[in-house]
This record gives sequence, structure tokens and C-alpha cells, in this order.
Amino acid sequence: MSEFEKDLNAEELENEAENPQAETEELTEEAEEPSEEISAVIEESEDTQVMETAAEEKAEEYVTREEPVAVNAKKVKGARISYEKKKQLYGYGFIALWIVGTLYFFIYPLIVSLVYAFHDTKVGAGGMELSNGGFHNFVNAFRQDQDYSKALVETLSNTAIKTPLIIVFSIFIAVILNQKFRGRTFARAVFFLPVIIATGPVIDIINGNMSTSGTAGGAEQFSTMFEANLVDQLLNFLGIYNISEKLTEIINTLTSDIFNLVWNSGIQILLFLSALQGIPFSAKEAAQMEGATSWEYFWKITIPYISPQILTCLVYTIVDSFVDPGNQVMEIVLNKASSWEHGYSAAMAWAYFAIIGVVLAIVVAIINKFIYYEVE
Amino acid sequence: MATKKEEKQFEKERKAAMKARRKKMKAEGIEKYLTPEQISYNRRKAVIGSVWPIFRFLILFGLCFVILYPLIFMISTAFRPNEQMNDPSIVWLPKSLTLDNIKQTWQVMKFDQSVLTTVRLNLIASVLQVITCSITGYGFARFKFKGKSIMFAIVVLMIIVPPQITTIPLYMQYAFFKPQFLAKLLTGGSATSLINTGWTMYLPALFANGLRAGLFIFIFRQFFRGLPKELEDAAYLDGCGPFKTYLVVMVPNAKTSFLTVFLFSIVWYWNDFYVSSSFFTHNDTVALMLKNLDAQLQQDLFSGQSVSVRQLIVWLEAGCVLSITPLLVMYIFLQRYFIEGIERSGITGM
Repeated sequence: MSEFEKDLNAEELENEAENPQAETEELTEEAEEPSEEISAVIEESEDTQVMETAAEEKAEEYVTREEPVAVNAKKVKGARISYEKKKQLYGYGFIALWIVGTLYFFIYPLIVSLVYAFHDTKVGAGGMELSNGGFHNFVNAFRQDQDYSKALVETLSNTAIKTPLIIVFSIFIAVILNQKFRGRTFARAVFFLPVIIATGPVIDIINGNMSTSGTAGGAEQFSTMFEANLVDQLLNFLGIYNISEKLTEIINTLTSDIFNLVWNSGIQILLFLSALQGIPFSAKEAAQMEGATSWEYFWKITIPYISPQILTCLVYTIVDSFVDPGNQVMEIVLNKASSWEHGYSAAMAWAYFAIIGVVLAIVVAIINKFIYYEVE
Repeated sequence: MATKKEEKQFEKERKAAMKARRKKMKAEGIEKYLTPEQISYNRRKAVIGSVWPIFRFLILFGLCFVILYPLIFMISTAFRPNEQMNDPSIVWLPKSLTLDNIKQTWQVMKFDQSVLTTVRLNLIASVLQVITCSITGYGFARFKFKGKSIMFAIVVLMIIVPPQITTIPLYMQYAFFKPQFLAKLLTGGSATSLINTGWTMYLPALFANGLRAGLFIFIFRQFFRGLPKELEDAAYLDGCGPFKTYLVVMVPNAKTSFLTVFLFSIVWYWNDFYVSSSFFTHNDTVALMLKNLDAQLQQDLFSGQSVSVRQLIVWLEAGCVLSITPLLVMYIFLQRYFIEGIERSGITGM
């Protein structure tokens, strides 16, 4: 016990050294607390809550203070508080920084932007000036703005086509990369490369290239390779004529968009790869014993095992494609924001965000039914 | 579990035994041992086993080419003289190499200066972010407290909500930072606005709310949850407080996880141009420079005339080469940690 206290003291000293201000606070608290007995426990938990809400205003000050207080309280009442309660307080201590930060840097701006969405905004000398509250921003976005609804539909259908393609493609690649062959490390490194590069502005220039550069080994040469109507040729060769327009179009998107497909599925491949490595060797052995072909193995062993990861990837892909600054809705939102129509842009962003939420909820609810969780 | 070496040994022995058995079977006639189905199964497996590697190589080679193509194009373009861009006889290898593009772009981007700024912003923010996110992740992984599930839902929300929604209110918060004395303290002068100072990056990182902090908290939580509880119980018994336990027992165990998050943090801060363009009015960082490179080039090299992207391409590509070289070098040497780190610690088992 004495060592235990020593540690706490050491911690306390460190904390105090950081801000001598807190010291006096603690002393007064120390004097009061022993008389309060059990009720102090309740107060303590209330205390932290009060701090959380108050923290918004003076974020920095409280953060440095919160931890010493928790540590100190524990020392004084150490003997009386149950183990569970103690751990609870420490839990708050660990996430205190995050709570303060989230309130100031995330929740508060989120609420403010929601307020903007219901007002006309004007940038004044002392901050944002709000006027004319109501739903008109939302009404305008859907009723008056011709681009917005169109862009919404476009983005939704794009995502609907792209997501399954990315999922299937990355499962396929992950299965291949999970096999043992020479140069596997290199292949993995290459497939993950887009994650490093594609988040930056470099991708814009690369994409710009793909469409603008000319004869000298440029994009045209590259893209003709894929854009020649190979799909139709192949279908005709196989004796399939008059296939539905939509299907050919989808296949065409797949083949001509192979660049985007590969460049957008780095993270997904990695996630599936890690899931594949979680499949126990015994499952494979058992399947071999029973004489399963690789095809059967894939459908009966691999897919059920990685199905939780499919959900993760699905959510990630959908969010990624919706949030991508390059998609049409995001472009409109950003344009409106940079032309000083902050309220309007916030309304659009919130409506869009609500739609994303609904889509995600539906997808998760449906997919959850097909997921196989291994019970241990 | 057997070690890797032992496993290799077992594999060898297994193969040798299989071979011997097959030899014996062949000598005595296969039909005696196996049913017809088993024979056909084995035959099919052998055929697939010999054909599949070729297909696999073709598929991977093609896709690797698609990924590497822009990089190859970038390097091929950045080092060729501008005149040779329009030479149809040149596809990949230029007739002569030049460093002029790189040098000129270096000057236009003020590369030495902007790299220093970027590295400073990047390192401080990443270090802060890793520390605070790991502490938060540990809190979520190992402690039970009231409202935990709601708070964790907020973490997930942080991953999903696009930063574009919160940027403008945040800008207002930074521009009119309260309390004012703190703003003065941070800027080291009389200014009350944090815009254009590094604090717009450091402050969120300090409070576990930096770029993609939600994802990092998630990764850390997942990792700490996977560590055995006995580790901590032992530390508690020996008289460590929770914070010391975290520092002395958990952190050393989470080394790879720390490195992974740190690397990702660096990559994302390096590449970020959306957040920094909102809070910086000058083009200070490499990503911002690159984003506005074509305008800068027109101004500096063509004295303000508007020129098509076609004519600027060599310089643009040179800028790309300049700005991704540090990342690429890092990636080549630390590639293992990027990939294995996520695989082992990461988002598995959500």
C-alpha cells in the first residue's frame, strides 16, 4: 500500500509541476473532503460531469486540472471507494483530454453548423451574423437548386455501382495476395501504395493527366487500351447479342474504370488480407480432408470467416465514396461555402449527411443478417 | 504453437512423407488405395496447381502496372526537357535527361522553406496525436464507466462525419479565439486570431481531435483490447497505478501499433490540403503549394499568361515527384510497419 501511494504521489508531483495553479485548489479540496464521507463519492462523479460541460468555454485550463483532481480524490478516499468506482474514475481520467477536445473541436462546431443550416448567414466583424431562421435553406436546396438533387442522385447511383465492385475486387485480390508465391511482399507493397499517394493533391494531377495529356506516351494511349469496345467484341464473339444496355454499361464502367477501382481499394484489400490470415489452419486441413475444391473452400470457409470484415469494408467504402471531395455533391457544397453562402452550404451538407446515415443504416441492417460470427 | 522454423521443418517432413507414400502407391497401383473420385480430385488439383500460378502472375502484373503507371509516367516526364513532350517518337525514355524542371519547380514551390514548415507542423501534430489518441484508446479499451457506449458512438461519428461540415464553425472559433488571453499567449503577441499559426493543427491534435483521430482511437482501442488482461493485473498487484501501468506495461507492448499510427498520421498530415487550406491563407505547406502549383507556375515562369496544362505538364510532374519523394522513401523502408501494423493491431475483429 505504501508503494502504491508513493506512485500516486510521484504522479501527482509530475502533474503539479506542470501547473502550480492547481495546487492551491487541491489543498482546499483535501481539507473539505474527509468530512463528507460517502456523499463525496457521488459528488465526485458529478464533479467530473460538471467539468465536462463547463470545459467547453475554458478548454485548456480545465484539461490540465482535471487529472490531478481525480488522482488526488482517489488518494484521499482510496480506502473507502470500491475498486469498481475507482476504475470508473480512472476511465474518465484517461479520456478526459478527448472529452474536452471533442466538445470544443467536434460537437460544438457540429451544432453551430446545424444552426447555420437554419439561418441566413453573413460574416461580420465579430463573428457570424445570423438572421431569418427557418427551413428555407433546405427547401431551396431540394426545390430550387437544380444541380443539387441531380448531383445527389448521381452520387448515390455511382456509389451503388462502385461499392460492390470494390468489395468483390478487393476480396479477389486479397485471396490472391494471401497465397504463397515469390514476390508477394512486392505485390502487397504495390497494392497498398495508392493509400499513401491518393489522399494527397498528387492524385488530382495524376487524374488530370489521365484526361489531358497527349501523344507522348500519355493518357490517351493508355486509356484507348481499355476503352476500345472490347466488352462488346467479347460478347459478340461468345455469341451473346442484344444484351441489355444497362449491363453492358456496367461492364464497361468496370473495364474502363479499372484505374479508379484499383486506386480506391487499397485499404479494403488490407482489411480482407488481415481477415484471411485469421482463418485457422485447421479449417483448411479439414476442408482438404473432405476433398473440397478451392471453389468450395472459398464459398464455404473463406466467405463465412471474413464476413464480419465485409461489413466493415462496406461501411468504409460507402463513407469513403460519399465523403470524397471529388464527388459532385461535395463539390457543390464546397463551392457554396467558398462563395460565402455558409448557411446554404451547411444545409446541403446536413441533408446529404442525413441521407448517408440512412443508407448506412439500411446497408448495415441488411448485411448483418448474413454475417457469420464465430462463437468461441 | 510451434515457431516458424519448426513449422517449416514440419512442412518439409510432411512433403517428404507424402512423396514417399505416393511413390509406394504408384508402384502397387493407385486403384488399390483410392476411390475413382479421389483420383479425379487429385488430378484436377494438379492441373489447377500448374496453371494457376501463370494466371496469377498475369493478373498481378497487369494490376501492378495500372498502379505504377502514373508513377512511371511522372518520373519519365519530370526529367525530360519540355520540347520533347511533343515529340511523338518518345514514349517512355526521353532522348536526354535534364534537372531543369526539378530546379525550377523547386524555386517556384520555395521547396526548402515549405518542406521545413510542413515537417515541423507534421511532426509536432503527429506526435501529439499519437500520444493523446493512445491514452484515449486505452481508456476506452480497459475501463468501464457511465456513458461509455455513447462516447464511443461519438468516436465512430468522428470517423463518419466529413470534416467539411465542421470546418467553417471551426474557422470562426479559431479566428475569434476565446478566452482572449490564451490566444495572446499562444500567438506570443497581441493577436487574438489563431488563423495562420501552427496552433490550428497542434490544438486539435493535443486534444485527440486531429486529422482522422477517430480512426486512430479506434485502432488503439482495438489493439489494447487484444492484449491479455493478466499483464495489467500483474502490474496492479505489484503496486502500479493505472497511469503508470499504462506507461510502463502497455506502451512497450504497443510499440508496433504506435509506429503504425504515427506513420499514418504523418502521411495524412503531409497529404492534407483541405484542412490546412481552410486555416492557412498563405501557401505554406507542400500539399498546398502543389495544389496551387499551376497558378504559381503561370505567374513565375510565363509572366502571368494563361497557359494550358499541356504546356505545364513537365513542371507539374516535377512538383509531384518532389512532394511524394519523402513519402515514398519512408514507405519503401518502413513498408513492413504500414502493412503488418494494420494487419496485426488494426481494425480486425470489429
